[in-house]
Amino acid sequence: MSTATTEKRPRTKKPRKTHSTLIIGAGFTGLGTAIKLREAGVEDVVILERADRVGGTWRDNTYPGAACDIPSLLYSFSFAKNPNWSRAYSPADEICAHIEDITDDFDLRQLIQFDTEVTALDYDRHEGTWTASTAGGQQYRARTVVLASGPLSNASFPNIRGIESYEGKKILSAQWDHDYDLTGKNVAVIGTGATAIQIIPEVVKKAASVKVFQRTPGWVMPRLDMPTPKVAQAVFAKVPAVQQAARNALFLSHEVAATGLVWDTPVTSLIERIGAAHLRLTVKDPWLRRQLTPEFRAGCKRMLMSSDYYPALQKDNCKLITWPIATIVPQGLRTADAVEHHVDAIIFATGYDVQLGGPPYPITGAAGRVLQEEWAGHAQAYKSASTHGYPNLFFTAGPNSGPGHNSLLVYVQGQISYAVAGIRTILDKDLVSLDVRPDVQAKHNESMQKRLKRTTWMSGCTSWYLTKDGFNGAMYPGFATQYLRQMQNFRADDYEMVSHGARRLWNVPAAEAV
Amino acid sequence: MSKTMDMEEMLQKIKDRQWALADIDWDAPGAELITDEMRPRLKAFMADLCWIENVGARGFAAMAKKAPNDTIAEIYRYFHAEEQRHANAELALLKRWGMLEDGEIPEPNVNIRLAIEWLDKYADDMSLSVLGTVIPMLEVALDGALLKFLLDEVNDPICHAVFEKINNDESRHIAVDFAVLDMLGHAKARKLAIEFVSGVASPGLIIGALMYIPLLNRVRNEVVDMGLQPERLYVAMGRFKKLGDRGEATHRVPLYQVLKWHAAMVINPKHPYHLLANTMVTLSDHYPKFLLRPIPTWFKELTYEPVSSTVSKPGARKDAA
Repeated sequence: MSTATTEKRPRTKKPRKTHSTLIIGAGFTGLGTAIKLREAGVEDVVILERADRVGGTWRDNTYPGAACDIPSLLYSFSFAKNPNWSRAYSPADEICAHIEDITDDFDLRQLIQFDTEVTALDYDRHEGTWTASTAGGQQYRARTVVLASGPLSNASFPNIRGIESYEGKKILSAQWDHDYDLTGKNVAVIGTGATAIQIIPEVVKKAASVKVFQRTPGWVMPRLDMPTPKVAQAVFAKVPAVQQAARNALFLSHEVAATGLVWDTPVTSLIERIGAAHLRLTVKDPWLRRQLTPEFRAGCKRMLMSSDYYPALQKDNCKLITWPIATIVPQGLRTADAVEHHVDAIIFATGYDVQLGGPPYPITGAAGRVLQEEWAGHAQAYKSASTHGYPNLFFTAGPNSGPGHNSLLVYVQGQISYAVAGIRTILDKDLVSLDVRPDVQAKHNESMQKRLKRTTWMSGCTSWYLTKDGFNGAMYPGFATQYLRQMQNFRADDYEMVSHGARRLWNVPAAEAV
Repeated sequence: MSKTMDMEEMLQKIKDRQWALADIDWDAPGAELITDEMRPRLKAFMADLCWIENVGARGFAAMAKKAPNDTIAEIYRYFHAEEQRHANAELALLKRWGMLEDGEIPEPNVNIRLAIEWLDKYADDMSLSVLGTVIPMLEVALDGALLKFLLDEVNDPICHAVFEKINNDESRHIAVDFAVLDMLGHAKARKLAIEFVSGVASPGLIIGALMYIPLLNRVRNEVVDMGLQPERLYVAMGRFKKLGDRGEATHRVPLYQVLKWHAAMVINPKHPYHLLANTMVTLSDHYPKFLLRPIPTWFKELTYEPVSSTVSKPGARKDAA
């Protein structure tokens, strides 16, 4: 996480040169973008990374049990496969090691500026360049920028009444403290989402007691995790086409799930039946089953994948508590049934500071407008990648790009190829600026919102996909195949372009052209 | 009751007014004011009261699933917990008065057991209009008669302090209950009729009535035995009518009319209804125990302990019944 302090502002150091591209973030997305840019002949790339290592979310999330919930074969880039995944769903440290390997294999380390946290991005409309200010004072300038800082890169303690009074150990899932030993401790876990269901089975193995505080139960599907057979690893290593075939098969099976998870259809009901059967088969007590039964359509909130969560909850040292938390007190928490629970530690698996309104650092565009202010109501972009008024800037995991049924990295690959096409256009045509046309963007968003109406996300639940007023600027309403087709088709006509050549032709004063 | 109750505001108020067993000094003087003469009947009464709170809690759990919006669902989630809180507090009073051995939880009577069975089997399938009508009746009876009577009889200041807190919670419950009942009354006549016919014709509600009638009369008889003027209970039942009729559209809820008619019968001690109801109480005493299903785990969550430090699993205990 951030090591920067804001108490003493360091002296600003002006940029030394103008690079072709700045990439913000050295996680999967940032590194993947660098690989593809270099493949496309863009060599002058700088990656700014706030930490001292690559890995992004997989470097930060080291809580016990952290793993992907999409099969590893699909949760990786098709252009940087790993034949050696140890399991169907790999643990976080293995994914992180894979990201380190990619960095070395593609010789990316030299491009990365570590310990460099971006604090602001400003566009210079005369030069057509972006300047990134950083916590250390050094500025970086480039003709194009790819934002690869991730939508869930920040987390903080939730705003629960009395939290500041707690005297025990507070642990945030995204900033796990490995020096604190949970062995023999009485522990509370707040939250039952995707992170919590991975943490709980691990904590139950060590702690004396675990109380799980749940507000809303989610749909839990069995996760068929198993070690990858040695034979398969050997075949994948020797014949990459076999691994690609396995990946394609997984991709297609996830695409089929979209018919129930993206759109509210009879398939959604079928998925709910599978979830209910999973619950019935693994949880004996009818009341516990009732407490764990979701009250929203499958897919409306993120699907949970686990085969060890339900068994863990039923262990003798674990208990699910569904009473609302009235307040946190110095020794633990009080629930609304009047009982005070004393615990040595509270694990907060309460989610991330979801960045529906743009990255946490201000981005100032062509007309001096700040992106976060524009997006404070509803975030919108064109094809999730460009937004009018912020030329030469490409988003990844941008508005309406989220998958509810398939691998995020499949979508990211689409975003990378779109950004590369855009950047190549700027460099090849020697453009000052490439800015998406407002009418094109408006039309795109109209269609997005229309298509979203029939999706499970809009079926009545509240989730982190939606803003407070129920606007969905997060998810893509379609198959991954449709999204990829959209992203592979970069149409220059959709953009307003100003070239350096045209400026000279129209005799723009030299002072402005410089 | 205003039909325009601001539910968001109500939810915030509920969150702001939470209290816990730990707020109360259970060892403070006053317990000695309970006379030996009162003990056996007070114990039976408090045990029933505590189980009725728990039954009410389960009713709110069912209502949370039917709530017309997220805010009301969250309110019902709190009410579910608060009824549990009341039961826990009443258990703690029993403990304070030396009426419970360590770890002892009083046995529910057969009518409570039957009510639990009914709730577990049918409550989640009942429409909001059925639940939303029955629950206020239960709460008004509890709040208006039983609790007030108890305070007249018992001088223990801690008991008074606890019931002041409980009453404050209950007044919010009743306000929301009747606001929702009024909301339900604004539905189209056709919808009300369909829900009523399908609700009443359902075996669930018929069996429910068979549970409810003797339960109500047993508690009535119990408090009368303890010296409660039956009129007190009747005044409370009358309050159900008064609060309901204040609503703009509550009278349009058919089940409300049925319960009002039923309340009128209960109020009249000379009504032949009591012959039927008391016969049912006697009959239920002979209800074969082996037909009772095992007590559900939610029923065993009650505790008089203000603090819980480890995990105790009620479900893991073998059920003796």
